[in-house]
Amino acid sequence: MVNPVLLLAVPLGLAFLTPLLAFISDRIARYVPVAGMLFNCVVSVSLIPSVLNRPIIVQTGGFAPPFGINLVAGPLGITLAAVIALVGLAVSVYGLAYVKEGATVKYHVLYLLLLTGATGVVLTGDIFNLFVFYEILCISSYALVAYSGDKNGVEAAVKYLIQGSIGSGLALIGIAILYGVFGTLNMADIARNIGSTGILNTTLFIALAFMVAGFGVEAAVFPLNAWLPDAHSSAPAPISAILSGIAIKVGIYVVVRIVFTVFGAPSMFMLLVVIGVVTLLIGEMSAFSQNNIKRMLAYSSVGQVGLIVFALGMATTGGISGGLFQIISHALAKSLLFLATGYMIYRSGSMEISSLQGMGKRMPLTCCAFTIGAFSLVGLPPFAGFPGKFMIVRAAIAQQQHLFTFLIALVLFGTIIEACYFFRIVQAAYFTGPREEPDAGKQRREEAPLFALAPMLGLLVFIIALGVYPEPVIRLLDSCAAELLNRFDYIKGVLG
Amino acid sequence: MQIILLTSFGGAFATYLLAKISSRLRDVCAVIVSGLLVVFVALLYNKTPAATLIPSFVGAPLTVRLNMLSWFFAIAIVVVGFLSIVFSFSYIKGKERADFYYLMMLLVNAGMIGIVLSADLLTFYIFWEIMSWGAFLLISYNRGPALRAGMKYIVMSVIGSVVMLAGILSLYAVYETFVFSELAGRIASASPAYSLACASMLCIAFAIKNAVVPLHTWLPDAHSEAPAPFSAVLSGILIKMGTYGLILVLYLFVGVKLFISPTYVWRGFRFVLLVLASITILVPSFIAVMQNDAKKVLAWSSIAQAGYIILGITFGTTLGFAAGMFHFLNHATFKALLFFGIGAVEYRTKTRDLNSLGGLLKRMPITFIAVLVGTCGLIGIPLTNGFVSKWLLYKTLILEGSPFLAFIALIGTWGTILYGYKLLHHVFLGQLPEKYKNVRKAPASMQFVLIILSLAVVVLGILPGIPLKLINTIAVSMGMDSMNINIFGIASETGALNTVNILSVLAAAGIVVWIILKASKKSTRISQEDNYAAGAAIPAERYSYTVDFYNPLYRMIRRYLRDIFDEFYYWIAGRVQAFSDMVRRLYVGDVGCYAMYILLFLSALILSQVWWRVW
Amino acid sequence: MVATVAQCVLLPVLGIVIGLFFLGLYRKIMARLHWRYGPPLIQPVIDILRLFFQGGMSHGAVFDFGLVLSLAGAMAIILFIPFAQWCPLQGSGGMLVILYLMLLMPLGTALSGGEAANPNASIGISRKLILALGYEVPLLLILLSVMSYYSTISIVDIVRGQQASVWALFSWPLALPGIAYILILPAVLGVRPFDTTTAPQEISSGPLVEYGGKYLAFEHIIHALSLFLGISLFVNLFLGGAANPIVFFVKILVVFVACVCINAVFPRLRIEQAVSYLWKWPTAIAFLGLVVVSLVK
Repeated sequence: MVNPVLLLAVPLGLAFLTPLLAFISDRIARYVPVAGMLFNCVVSVSLIPSVLNRPIIVQTGGFAPPFGINLVAGPLGITLAAVIALVGLAVSVYGLAYVKEGATVKYHVLYLLLLTGATGVVLTGDIFNLFVFYEILCISSYALVAYSGDKNGVEAAVKYLIQGSIGSGLALIGIAILYGVFGTLNMADIARNIGSTGILNTTLFIALAFMVAGFGVEAAVFPLNAWLPDAHSSAPAPISAILSGIAIKVGIYVVVRIVFTVFGAPSMFMLLVVIGVVTLLIGEMSAFSQNNIKRMLAYSSVGQVGLIVFALGMATTGGISGGLFQIISHALAKSLLFLATGYMIYRSGSMEISSLQGMGKRMPLTCCAFTIGAFSLVGLPPFAGFPGKFMIVRAAIAQQQHLFTFLIALVLFGTIIEACYFFRIVQAAYFTGPREEPDAGKQRREEAPLFALAPMLGLLVFIIALGVYPEPVIRLLDSCAAELLNRFDYIKGVLG
Repeated sequence: MQIILLTSFGGAFATYLLAKISSRLRDVCAVIVSGLLVVFVALLYNKTPAATLIPSFVGAPLTVRLNMLSWFFAIAIVVVGFLSIVFSFSYIKGKERADFYYLMMLLVNAGMIGIVLSADLLTFYIFWEIMSWGAFLLISYNRGPALRAGMKYIVMSVIGSVVMLAGILSLYAVYETFVFSELAGRIASASPAYSLACASMLCIAFAIKNAVVPLHTWLPDAHSEAPAPFSAVLSGILIKMGTYGLILVLYLFVGVKLFISPTYVWRGFRFVLLVLASITILVPSFIAVMQNDAKKVLAWSSIAQAGYIILGITFGTTLGFAAGMFHFLNHATFKALLFFGIGAVEYRTKTRDLNSLGGLLKRMPITFIAVLVGTCGLIGIPLTNGFVSKWLLYKTLILEGSPFLAFIALIGTWGTILYGYKLLHHVFLGQLPEKYKNVRKAPASMQFVLIILSLAVVVLGILPGIPLKLINTIAVSMGMDSMNINIFGIASETGALNTVNILSVLAAAGIVVWIILKASKKSTRISQEDNYAAGAAIPAERYSYTVDFYNPLYRMIRRYLRDIFDEFYYWIAGRVQAFSDMVRRLYVGDVGCYAMYILLFLSALILSQVWWRVW
Repeated sequence: MVATVAQCVLLPVLGIVIGLFFLGLYRKIMARLHWRYGPPLIQPVIDILRLFFQGGMSHGAVFDFGLVLSLAGAMAIILFIPFAQWCPLQGSGGMLVILYLMLLMPLGTALSGGEAANPNASIGISRKLILALGYEVPLLLILLSVMSYYSTISIVDIVRGQQASVWALFSWPLALPGIAYILILPAVLGVRPFDTTTAPQEISSGPLVEYGGKYLAFEHIIHALSLFLGISLFVNLFLGGAANPIVFFVKILVVFVACVCINAVFPRLRIEQAVSYLWKWPTAIAFLGLVVVSLVK
């Protein structure tokens, strides 16, 4: 069996190796992230069967938990790590073609660091270690948002930096309070100390509130998500893809892990549900009135985050696995959308939706990928978005409460709005612009390069496969849901 | 049965791939696929296979099955699908993105087949959605105003889908199954209010697709802007998937016994449906009279005809059900025929504006005959199939004590006569304008389709026993009384129908009159320039009366026939847009403000806990 | 069987004869009311015979076909409406078939007139269809009241029901639709003041404008038949039909003469005036009738 530490060690090592390799040849350096992510992909997928039996606890320095820093490779962590690696792989391949100018080496280093951070967050079992990885993730993403170096990018990055730092600061305060109270940083240990009181005392609650608010910034729930539209829309396409597909999911993971596992605070579930719905509505409505396609996608991410948080907040097996499924399908679809738009914008030179006219002709495959990604996000079968949305709605209705009936109506309303703006773009891409005579010789094709198309098509295949046959993934997610719901199993698993 | 689905979906993609090689190959493949489907479905007549597609999909199996009801719909789907593909040959030739067009045509077709084959609501929903977005892409195909039409369609369609999803899952929450046969009859076991809520949610979704007033507003635009072959599919078959759904809900889940029982809840529900159906007949019929776009006329007419179908089905008697089902079949034939006919005219003349066409009878005789037959079927002239279904409907309405519904349906027929004649007159009769002097007749593939469907209209009108026998079997399987059917009609004590008598009498009278006409002194054939014009020369430009054809009537009824629902929906959409814009302004762009949001959130969280201990 | 076939052959002929007689009578009565002497009663027959020998001009196949359809339809309906005790095709769909077959007349004429490609004809047809819509509203209400009252769609059963008790016109609540029918009868027949369709002075006789020779003769016969049909429908529905042909003939004659005499004094209505008249009192009364009938049932 492979040691899950490799999931962190290899990309981290490669990240530092990259500049060295760049001395030898820039070409080799470019392929480093691809290799790293490929490795992560293989390892994490191969780990899935074994962690389904029991989580793998990795101790560092030979200290048994709660004393040493440990990694907890449970079903949830490994699944998310696999998703991170998968999307990371696709985006890194895309980057081969897309990232040509500027400080490419720095880009690749930061990119690998970002993914290392993300993987670290989902795998670690120590709350301060989590914070460290979280910071790696955040800082590298600040830098990457500004990567293109233009005014918008820098401005967005600074905004992101300010808000992200506030968030990190708050989270750190929360962690500090916890450490002050319990004298331990191991999540399982903290959880054991908190016990199952149900009602938290004020000190603990303040710690929780600080951490939720702090990590909530990266999770992009309303009202903590104001950085997102700027950052996602100004970043280069692969970074937007990775931010939308991975980074905010990691934020959600942290919030959920803290609320469910560390604090076990059922009273917060309702907060998540409400925040989720509000975020969903605000995100979708803001996206609805956007003319800038990347901003629109960014707001749509906000909406999707709302849906995911809503689903997770239901705290039923169906809801959580629905929410996790939505995390996966959104990660695939949204990164696909950003990748596709990347080249569409590159070709048309503008981010306005109206400039996409006739793209269906100029870049048929890219457009097709975009369309399917959009359909998947809207939740149309047979694409990956459908089972996720279906499970979420099913879980909400199964609650058989008036409140949830009302909330699900709002969620569905959000879906309708989402459908409106996505279909509008699909129309713009395919059915506007100059009509071309099909007989007028070979048409002008400006398809994206192969390295950009390949990851898109790869993601496409995953989206369709998940949409047609989601059952294995759902079974996996059910055990992830069990991990979140059965807090004591987690504690016992880690502490023995 | 998997073969059918495999053929339909696989065929769609195979066609697309082959199209990359050559367009001829594509055409051949499309025809083979759709023709094979006809054969396969026909072979399954009177068989009841069942199969599982995917053993587990989000916790429930995806299953398919075939019974008489779904066979009835399936055969209509594949036949109209086949004809529309054949019709597309010349229609789509030389247009852009024809490969994509074929792919979507076949995909929508496949989706519809999937819908009628599915044995559980989950499968049903999946195929339903595939059909819906496929249709969206096809409706938008023509660009320009089609974009707006497509948006309108997909928004309403998505609304319908989410409502249906909520309905399906509400059923699931109680009965824990999606399978039709397990749901059947069990719905009565829940509280009436809950089952009513579930049924209404599903019915709303189906009513949107079926364009029942007030949920019809997407249809006029979508039908008129879609490519003609797809308009035929859309109007003839696709919107009738809503009918199929309604039948499932009313006759299977609720059960016809409960549905027409005098229970307070269901009585009210049925009453509402009947009222909506009659409004759907009445108002659109007359709105159609006022249209000046040939396909808009047909589109509004589709809404009205769908109203007849819904009226028959929600009426709930055996005759009513038979009327609804038969009218579905008839509408699929004659409305498809009309759309094809108008499509052929549009293909040749490049316009659908009624006021600028005219006199094409001399140039496109086959098309004229087809449209004439279609119009007769639409009106319900005896010896066309439309007559039989309407006869059944009126009879049951009158005899079961709903003369007012019968009145509305009959008046709707008068609307049909007005617009039917208008359509014929403006396109085919009157003076042939100078610019259409050289219009050629429709291409052979189009004529083939037109002739087949015209024959279907007449044959089903003279031999209504063939489909009625089938419908009778379905009705009996749904727990309704049997009808006494013979091949030429229906026998009963309260008024029988015998088409062969009508046929022989009309034929005899016609022959006699024809002989007299021919036997008396021979007439001279004159051209349209030789007409009476009160001694003046015939005006060279236009010597015809088309604009505002029913002007006195328009003046009387126009103000009552505004599509207020359309305006209302636009108003709502406008409000939502404005509100969204307002919401967007939460993101002011000032980072200080954003930081404040974060801190406000944190403090609200903490303070609420400290003061009220909410969490 | 033989009797049925004989009826099938004879009834249309009888209908045409009576219809032509009515046409002659109509002209005579109108003339007398105008203080003229008027043409002889058989003038229409003479006209038609003469027209048959004039040939005429055709605009094409549909021009011919429309007329044939119209006349054949008119002749076919006769077989569905009882003439006294004769009704050869009673078990073939009843009132609903009659209603729909009655469409063939205007529709055939409209097709033929449309092919004639003369705006006068088109205007006439447009008026005809609007007028028809105008009177169909009350007429349908009336027919539905009768059908619901007797719970049948067979006209023979309706006649039988009246012969068993009293004439519908004099029974409650069918008197209401009866009165409404009387009010709309001239519109159904297309006689004064509802002859806007074929107004000679305004639109050169409307649909008839391009007809000459045998076509005009056909058109006259169709008009004659429609007079006959409209009245015999009324007699069957509200005056209890008749036990023998003589009584039946007397009944339709009385109704016709009364209808013509009363209405001949009115000037021609504009089409909107006609429709708004038809949609006011006759519709109100017929609607009331249907409400009462459905309450009584």
